[in-house]
Parts: sequence; structure tokens; C-alpha cells
Amino acid sequence: MFKKLTFIGFLMSIFVACQSEKPKQQLKLQEASWEQISKEAEGSTVNFVMWQGSPIINNYINNYVVPRLKEELNIDLRISGGQGTEIVQLIMGEKQAGVEQGQADLVWINGETFFQLNKIEGLWGPFVDQIPNTKYIDFTNEFINQDFQQPVNGMECPWGITQFALVYDSAKVPNPPRNLKQLETFVKENPGTFTISNDFSGMSLLKSFLAELSGSPTGLDGDFDQSKYDRLSDSLWNWINANKKYFWKEGQTFPKEHSKMDQLFASGELYLSFGFNEGGIEDKVRQGLFPNTTRSYAWDNGTVKNTNYLGIPYNAKNKAGAMAVINFLISPEAQLKRLTPDEMNTSTILEVNKLPEAWKKKFKEMPGRKYGADLNDLEGHAIKEPKPEYMIKVYEDFRTEVIEK
Amino acid sequence: MKNSKSTIHLIFFVLIGVLPFAAAFIYALLYSLGVIGVVNEGFTLSFWQTVFSSGEFLKSFCYSIAISAVSVVLSVGLALWLSLQFRKELNRPFLSFMLYLPLAVPGVVSAFFTFQLFSKSGFFSRIACQINWITEARQFPDLVNDQLAIGIILTFITVVLPFFVLLFLNVYRNEKVDQLEQLSASLGANNKQTKWKVSLPILLKKTWTLIALYFIFLLGAYEIPLILGQESPQMLSVLVIREINQFDLTKISEGYVAAVTYTLLVSIAAIALFSNQKRTANDF
Repeated sequence: MFKKLTFIGFLMSIFVACQSEKPKQQLKLQEASWEQISKEAEGSTVNFVMWQGSPIINNYINNYVVPRLKEELNIDLRISGGQGTEIVQLIMGEKQAGVEQGQADLVWINGETFFQLNKIEGLWGPFVDQIPNTKYIDFTNEFINQDFQQPVNGMECPWGITQFALVYDSAKVPNPPRNLKQLETFVKENPGTFTISNDFSGMSLLKSFLAELSGSPTGLDGDFDQSKYDRLSDSLWNWINANKKYFWKEGQTFPKEHSKMDQLFASGELYLSFGFNEGGIEDKVRQGLFPNTTRSYAWDNGTVKNTNYLGIPYNAKNKAGAMAVINFLISPEAQLKRLTPDEMNTSTILEVNKLPEAWKKKFKEMPGRKYGADLNDLEGHAIKEPKPEYMIKVYEDFRTEVIEK
Repeated sequence: MKNSKSTIHLIFFVLIGVLPFAAAFIYALLYSLGVIGVVNEGFTLSFWQTVFSSGEFLKSFCYSIAISAVSVVLSVGLALWLSLQFRKELNRPFLSFMLYLPLAVPGVVSAFFTFQLFSKSGFFSRIACQINWITEARQFPDLVNDQLAIGIILTFITVVLPFFVLLFLNVYRNEKVDQLEQLSASLGANNKQTKWKVSLPILLKKTWTLIALYFIFLLGAYEIPLILGQESPQMLSVLVIREINQFDLTKISEGYVAAVTYTLLVSIAAIALFSNQKRTANDF
């Protein structure tokens, strides 16, 4: 009998534990002043879901942002791993289950996740105008006020800006290819040393190729155009299928992730690579992973340049806290730290000329990159991210038209 | 008293074993039919049609069956040979410890071992380079992420083989096969006849359900083919997860179609297996 009772008690406790707490009486955040929001945020805990694939970024967050937030605002920032579709799946799952107090308060996203989250109405806002430090951001810049050609409308706050660049080892390749024609010659002369990862980075390269095939850096601008896509993608798949026998593993398979390409580049199997953050080589050369003759460079017709953002899920438990964290992350202090070459080394989202004199000076004095290209070096070779539909189609068709053929 | 105890057991079994599985299955089924899902627009069979007309699922299914079958046959064959040939040696403490050790290594870790050893920039490639067999990393043969799934099969074998060796050694002992062997020898059978007509049939007959279960287990393996497989065709679990996590939210249901189909096929196979086993058990 006693056993039975404990068993029933055990079941009851499970059911009780499963019931969610009732939501607190919440401040009307969108009408509140920043003082009220800061007060509400003080002493709270913020759950931040972000991509944790880079030790340098993790170091910046764990050893700088987390302690500084605790010190300045008494906010506990808890990090959990997740990016892109994982974030979408999380919020979608919560929406389906009717969870009013979600697990995430803050998410780090880019254009295609923004597109997906908008589709399921997964974001809360607009809130960006209320964040004080946004006054240092130039919202007239169309690389910032549009995310994959979707107006941002205050639903996500810019955090960093980055451009895609190609990467080569100048000791092995004196003249790296700068357009598709040169790339074709290159792979024929150096078979097995080039490939395209089947992920976000690889697809970003393919979008740059599509833009080149369109004949101009602005060729993919505007709304998604199926007939234009069909025409351009046909010639792209033809080009790849004709040349893939000179790719890595004779083009029979492609690396699943970009990190795999980094390994292959480091081991010398690949001569050519690519990546965001203007190539993303600075930290890898400094760590000794890549040879110090590694350089990044621009593609003639341009590579995509985009901004990454911070968003607040529609059901975030602690929206005020998330707003306070965002304000810190785009503060001159945090952005300067982020720019430091042996830190995250990411170009700042702030418009340096808008900053107070003292900060302006500090930003201008920051030493530049030794190996990778700077945003300024790539100026004139930047293309806007095309509409998300291009990305979705390229993803799907790269699989059906190239990988499965 | 005994009755109420078995009722509690049954309740536990249903709560922990059946209910979550049934709920997940119904959820997946409804998702595959477009009934649930934030971006789905209501009941439709179109996802089922797309999946079965594209051929990718079927290809992946056959690919998984082939890989699992090859791995199981090789592991069982090798394990039989080892346990019959080196039975005495394998019972020594050190060797039996060496046999238990791989059982404690998780699949992900084994997959990474294989990757470190056999990839083009891995251990063996480096040795080959040192002794001048090859001059560049890319001349090393394709052993991981390759078309023939050599890496996957190799890892499956290292994961499964020790288990089968231990299993065969135990069955050998429990079924007193050594006495039967002596008996057949005293009745005039030679070594070969004893092995093929006495020892092997007993070992296989006693273990074939487990062998079949291992085949199903490998069929649904995820981490090993994820790390060592290629992009197309992919093994089933990898395909399902890829479909469910894809960028195009309107196509997530296709992943659930694959998951539901796979679950149905495996359940049917398992039921057939166990109903069959009852019959063989009664034969004895």
C-alpha cells in the first residue's frame, strides 16, 4: 500500500513539475522608458542561445561579456548552444506546445533565420529604437537596415557586420582565381584542391557565383524571380557538374560543414577556401592552424556582405533583461573589445564617426589585421544578400542537381 | 498480491515504454500529413507523394540495409572465427579485458577514432607519407566519407565485433558445446565436420535473434554515419534529421514521412522476428 502511495505521489509530482509557472505581471515594455527597463532587468537572468562553434567567440562571451554584465548590470547571462534551424525548431516547438515562457530570451541570428522566424511570427518587437546605444549605428546603411533584403523594422538589433571572402595560401598559389573562368583553369591545374561545403558558407559562395553569372553585383537584388533563378542556376549547375571531377574527391561528395574545410585547408589538401568575417583567417593563423602565408581576397564581381543580429523570441521570459544585454553588446566598450585582433576580431557595427571623441580615438588606434582582408579592402566588391528564397532554392538544388547526380 | 504487482509493472511499462513512443509516433504521423506544424495548412498527402516519388528515401533505405548487412555479416563471421579458434586464449583476463574495453567506447568516439586514423590527413596517411608511399595527402585512398562507406563499416565492426565474441563465448560455455564437440569426435567426426555441423549451428541458432536485432540497431545508427558518411546517399537517421532541420520550413513534414515509414518497417520486422522466435523456441 505504501509503495502504491509513493508511486502515485511520484506521478503527481511529475505532473506538477510539468505545469509552467504563471507569467509575472509584466511591465509594458514597448511603452516603458529605458530607466524602467534597466530597473526591471537588474538582477535577472538572461538565456542567450548562440552559435558556440568558435573558441574565440566563446572566449569573448564567457570571459568578457558574462563577467562585465554581472559587474555592470547584475545580470546573469546563461549561454546555450544553437543556431539557425535549431533556434527555429526550438521556438516553433514552443509555439506548437503553447509555451508562454520560452527557454530563450535572446537569440543570435542572421537573415535566413530572421526569414524563418518571421514566417512563424517567432520574434518580439519592434524594440530596437528603445535601445540607447543604437544611436551609434548607421541605419541608413542598406547593408544594415535590410537583412537578406527584408526590412529589419526594429525586430532585430544589428550586432556585427561581415563580408564573405576567399582564402588561399600565397606560398602555394601565387595568383588565386577571381572569377569563374579563372576558377575553372585553377581546378584543372590543381585537381582536388577545391570544394564547396554543403552549408551556409558554401551556399554563400554559390550566391556570389549566381550574381557573377547574372553579369553584375546587383543582379540578384530585388524580389525573388523564379525565371531569373532558373536561368542563372541552370548555368551554375552546368558549370559545377562540368568541373566537379577536378574538385576534392572528384566531386563525388562534398564536406558537410565549413569547419571540415578549415581542417582540409590546414592539412594542405585544399588550396582554396572561403569564409565570412572577411575570410575568417586571422585567429587561425595566430593559433598556428593555418600557415602565416594565408591571405583572404575579394572576388571580382563581389561577395555577399551581411549583418548578423540579436533578436528576442515572442515568448521570452525576460525581455527587459534581453534588451539590457543587447544594449551592452552594442556599446562602444563591448564593440571595441570585439574588434581587438586577438579577441573576436570582428568588424564593428558602430559608425565610428558618430561616437564620442574619446571612443572614436580608441577605435581609430586599434591595429588592423595582419593576414585577413579588412572590410575597406573589399570595398567595391560587396553584394547585398539576395532574398532568402534564393538561399533556400540554392540549398535544395545544390543537393538534387549536384550532390545526388 | 501477485496480481497487483504485475498490474503496477504493466502500468510502468505502458507509461515509460509505450506511451512516449506512441505519442511521438502519432505526432510524427500527424506532422507528415500536414495536420500539425506551425507552417502547415491542413491535411495533405503531398509530402508522402514527394518523398516516394523523389527516390531519395528508397535509395537511402537500400543503402542503409546494405551497410548494416555487410557490417553484421562481417562482424558475426569474424567473431565466430575468433571465438572458435582462440576460445582458450580469449578467456585469459588480459584478453577478455581488451574485449570489454571497446564495449565501453561510445559510437561518436569510435567514429572520431576512425576519422583520425583513416582520413587523408590521418595517422595512416602520415605514416604512408613518412615512408614515401605517397607524396601528398590527397593520394591516400578514400577511406572516410567515401562512396563505399568503408569508414562506416569499419567502425560498425569495431563497435559490434567484441559484443559478438563475448556472446559466442558465453553461449559456447552455457550450451556445453565443448562436450558436444567431444561427443561428435568420439562418434568419428573430424575437426571440420564438428565445427560446421555441430558448433556453428548451435551458436547461430541460439543467437540469431540478437544478430537480427543488431542489424536493426545498425540500420538506425546516427552518429557514426553522420561523421563518416558522405552527403548522398545518406543513412536513414542522417537523412531524417537533415530533412527535419532543413531551411525550407514548408518541407519539414517530409522528414516525418521518412521517420514514420522507417518506424513502421522496423516494427513489422521486429514483430515478425519475435513471433518467429516463439515458434523456434517451441520446436526445442
